[in-house]
Amino acid sequence: MATTAATGAIGELAERARAIVGPVWVLSDPAQLSTYECDGLTNQRERPGLVVLPASTDEVAAVVRACHELGVPFVARGAGSGLSGGAMPRAEGVVIGLARMRAILDIDVADRRVTVQPGVTNLAITEAVAPHGLYYAPDPSSQQVCTIGGNIAENAGGAHCLKYGFTVNHVLAATVVLGDGAVTRLGSDAPDAPGLDLLGVLIGSEGTCGIVTEAVVGVLPRPQHVETLVAFFDTVEEGGETVSEIISDGIVPAAVEMMDRLAIEAARAVTHMDWDAESALIVELDGPESEVRSQFEAVTRICAARNAREVRVAASPAERAAIWTARKSAFAAAGRLAPAYRVQDGVIPRTRLPEVLRGIADLSERYGLRVANVFHAGDGNLHPLVLYDSAVPEQVEQSEELAMAIVALCVEHGGSITGEHGVGTEKACSMPKMFDGADLTAFDRVRAAFDPAGLCNPDKLLPTPRLCGEVPGFHRVHPVERAGLGARL
Amino acid sequence: MGVVEDLAADLGPDRVRPGGPEDAIGGLVPAAVAEPLSPEAIALVLRRAGADGLAVRVRGGGTKQAWTAPPSRLDVVLSTTALDRLVDHAPGDMTCVAEAGMPLAALAAAISDVTTHRQRLMLDPPGGAAATLGGVLACAASGPRRTRYGTPRDLVLGARYVTGDGLAAKTGGRVVKNVAGYDVAKLLIGSHGSLAVITEVALKLHPLPDAARTAVLRTTDPAAAAAFCDAVRDAPVTPALVEVAWPEGVVMVRVESTADGADAQIAHLRGLADIEVPDETAADALAADLAARAWAGADAVLAVGVRPSRLADLLRLAAAHDAVLVVRAGVCAGELALPDADPERAGRVAAAVRALGGNVQVRRGDGLHAALTVDPDPALAGIEDALRRGLDPHGVLAGAAR
Repeated sequence: MATTAATGAIGELAERARAIVGPVWVLSDPAQLSTYECDGLTNQRERPGLVVLPASTDEVAAVVRACHELGVPFVARGAGSGLSGGAMPRAEGVVIGLARMRAILDIDVADRRVTVQPGVTNLAITEAVAPHGLYYAPDPSSQQVCTIGGNIAENAGGAHCLKYGFTVNHVLAATVVLGDGAVTRLGSDAPDAPGLDLLGVLIGSEGTCGIVTEAVVGVLPRPQHVETLVAFFDTVEEGGETVSEIISDGIVPAAVEMMDRLAIEAARAVTHMDWDAESALIVELDGPESEVRSQFEAVTRICAARNAREVRVAASPAERAAIWTARKSAFAAAGRLAPAYRVQDGVIPRTRLPEVLRGIADLSERYGLRVANVFHAGDGNLHPLVLYDSAVPEQVEQSEELAMAIVALCVEHGGSITGEHGVGTEKACSMPKMFDGADLTAFDRVRAAFDPAGLCNPDKLLPTPRLCGEVPGFHRVHPVERAGLGARL
Repeated sequence: MGVVEDLAADLGPDRVRPGGPEDAIGGLVPAAVAEPLSPEAIALVLRRAGADGLAVRVRGGGTKQAWTAPPSRLDVVLSTTALDRLVDHAPGDMTCVAEAGMPLAALAAAISDVTTHRQRLMLDPPGGAAATLGGVLACAASGPRRTRYGTPRDLVLGARYVTGDGLAAKTGGRVVKNVAGYDVAKLLIGSHGSLAVITEVALKLHPLPDAARTAVLRTTDPAAAAAFCDAVRDAPVTPALVEVAWPEGVVMVRVESTADGADAQIAHLRGLADIEVPDETAADALAADLAARAWAGADAVLAVGVRPSRLADLLRLAAAHDAVLVVRAGVCAGELALPDADPERAGRVAAAVRALGGNVQVRRGDGLHAALTVDPDPALAGIEDALRRGLDPHGVLAGAAR
């Protein structure tokens, strides 16, 4: 699309958007637009052409319809806390911000479900049902600010998804505005709906299949009993082996998290804790009290047998909260260790933890950059933090190379490039590490079925020439095929 | 040349035979039955079918062909049964990878060697020993344990598949957490082979529990049965299954936990109602009986699902229509066996379930699909059609699926 034509289209869209949502909810001032130039992946930025803040499904649909008519690409945005650039706009495109749609529409205690608008935060759902002894299970670290709309787009996980699954396991139905502005409903109020599981593929599609404007999510009863411990080890390997042994003992913990020395040091810099070890392993069990008690004894025994230097059991909710604060502060605290950092999200089979951690240490040494490791050890989801100095140009480049080498290492060990952060723009060019041309072609056909015009969050999730140069072997669906006017043999 | 000869030229003569009466689906006998040995050979069959305008139906164990509408045309039955290997089992990772034609029973036996690693695939669908992994997934089939462990969409980590135009692709991976790319497996699960042929599946496994204990409540009062199920749901109990059989009036709750944990949970259930606690041998027999109850001898079986708060209504509905119902109370989904395959009766039952806000699908009774199918809203139908055109551009699989 030529820039001048795009500018013209944006101007026309701004006019229409003002009529739809009211002038005050359309932002076109460059300073205001700058707020929306990136999400949590702050090293990739693009100022959008326009920001529209609708307040209802009808308004979202009307804005999307206008985008479709004018050929303007759009991206939905919740809190903008995503870590893969999923909400990054295009210069000639529109950001549809959903922050005004934050009503909890219905709490159905009998059927344990909550109907929410997309701008409701993850934690607000749990807070709304807490008086009934219920909670919403997926708990990404950003749960205080991240929104359910974004959670659905990214299929958000969290520390407790080892036992309770991801967003896709907890969303029952959604109202969706499709790429042409049509409004439909995916999923069902009751189980076993006929037809294809379109909701299942929409969740985690990173905003490329439509915009969720309302969602029905399931909530669970609070477990009767919770036990949490943190065990300290003299080596990272012993921590990793302890994880494998707990799992192969037939125990499914609610969460198993690990931090290495550097991550512990980072957390210590911002909290009052006194942790000091090569690795810290957090294990949390929940469920019926007698089951949790006997399995917790087994976990404690395994930690001791694996040479844990010390095992601390949380004796109160406050002590449990302190353990989790230490774990969750590691990210923010990484800023104390270096001027900048990149966080990765690779996944490996959990039995490969020790060797992959050794591999990361080797890479860290080779590149001369420190890597702090904080990870969901139970499901093998690593979050290495590559520390660098953004004022040193070589380090900027090297840190990116190191981060990508870690991603490649995960794939080599039978894993994935992303466990919960999403592909976005950040890892789109890494998709061919994991998927071949046929895989990517099939993905593109799925995308084209939902969004034939290609305006729904383009340049995310799949590698494109614009992002990555030509991708060998990846055949993109031709516009003629997208429009259903022809097919190739 | 005929279909058999053409396919034999592609696959070799020993992988193709003429169809016979035993291969008939919905009364149509296919010209050929192909049993390819590899995904590449499956792609050959599909490409041939695309070029020659043949309608292909995928078959695993052939136990759930009635779960989708009978084909309007049928040229080739594509059997996946030659793809029957366990590709990988990683006990420490609690995952396995198996080919789609592997019978579920064989997979269960291969991975649950109790002496070495105590784990299993928590999927207990109907269909008996012949049911294959691929067929179970294509039908999104599940059984009583879905109450705790979910359905195939909750257990599948990744898949390899061949699209209708012969593209061999994969989705997901082998690790338990992964959001890279579209989750095409979600589309294939429950698609009844209408988009692509599943050739290999990566699955999440669960530990075998130390102990199981069972509680049985007998009541013919729908309100009492539903109240008990609600109380179980609100109690500190995490049952593997909660099955209600109606109109007989049996509620079976099975807890699986540590030995202490299972005993404590049963003790809790004793406080809720006047339950029986059979020994586990008797409980196994009852579980098997309930699992078979809706299927044994019935000419027409519907899958029904309603919101949990509608359980008592669903029980009353079954009794009012002379149906036999076995329902998973926690999720409120189950099977309803009708006394005959009369489409009018089935239509009345379906309307009653839908009036409760519920869903209905046909599980047995070829004549019922047309009567019970409701058209999805146009926007949804548009996406479904576009997905079929995208993944099966020549209509090779769709032609025989609908």
